[in-house]
Amino acid sequence: MEEDFQLLDKFKKGDQHAFESLVRKYKITVFNTIYSIIGNTEEAEDITQEVFLKVYTKAGSFKGKSSFSTWLYRITVNRCVDEIRKRNNKIISYETEFDEEEKLKLKNILASKEADITEELRKKELEDIIQKAMNSLPEKYRIILTLKEIEGLSYNEISQIMKISLAKVKIWLFRARQKLKGKLTFLYPQGE
Amino acid sequence: MSCEKFKILLSAYLDQEITEEEEEKLIEHLKKCADCARELEYLKGIKRVFLLKERKEPQEFFETRLFARIKDKRKEPMWHVYLPVSKKSILAVLVFFLLIGGLLNYRNFLSQRRAEKTSDLLIDTELEENFEEELLEIYYGPLG
Repeated sequence: MEEDFQLLDKFKKGDQHAFESLVRKYKITVFNTIYSIIGNTEEAEDITQEVFLKVYTKAGSFKGKSSFSTWLYRITVNRCVDEIRKRNNKIISYETEFDEEEKLKLKNILASKEADITEELRKKELEDIIQKAMNSLPEKYRIILTLKEIEGLSYNEISQIMKISLAKVKIWLFRARQKLKGKLTFLYPQGE
Repeated sequence: MSCEKFKILLSAYLDQEITEEEEEKLIEHLKKCADCARELEYLKGIKRVFLLKERKEPQEFFETRLFARIKDKRKEPMWHVYLPVSKKSILAVLVFFLLIGGLLNYRNFLSQRRAEKTSDLLIDTELEENFEEELLEIYYGPLG
């Protein structure tokens, strides 16, 4: 965290290499967050660039009240929300239903031991299945699950990024998982 | 505590975000409630799936493309550099000055009209009898 502040300070003083270091350090984090929320690699790439452009132009307004990464996540999440809303107006939607083959594959993953999983299922297929399930969720649940499950952030960090209370983080995560469960009912033949 | 509340706790328990006291209560409940125990297994399964998700990388030459965009951006006028305030604040100030300008113009217009009417009144000899009333009307609107 200290290192981020130092890099940002250097950048504010005109050191372009400091900005490049921040980009190198966070590009994968930003890209994966966006991809998980938006669900499309090309768009994720473009939005990642826009996020760093914003960091470049707005670095002067960052007061250091939160960590740099929290600020960066907030820019990222806000940009994703804008994109989703724009997309909702255009009525673009990705496929969110599982076909029989996908259902079977997912059942196998959950039934198998951890070591066997990579052999059983190619990573690309797994990516597609998880992304399909994510795409089916409302935006706030997609965001909160991404921050928790993909980025591994604490409730406190999520609460700062999404500007919601800790209690809300807890409830929204619970509901997001319930929604996901609704999408994956085929995994539970006993009808849980 | 109801099962619904325990299920919320389960979700937080998997994220290691509950207190020791909550954890004790939850574990006691799990011993007795098969439904919540199944829910815990489901949540563990979902967590496992997410853990297997591979982190992707942006395409090659991401930085090159980004810095090209930054270079283009720097060619655009960067008002925020010169004006360290948001667009909304600039808009608010503009609206304020437009209102003040409009108000001043309106006042000028009114006083000009009054002057014209007063001079008409002074010229109009037929109105001599009601001169005072007419003058008051010009300044304060129709009387009583």
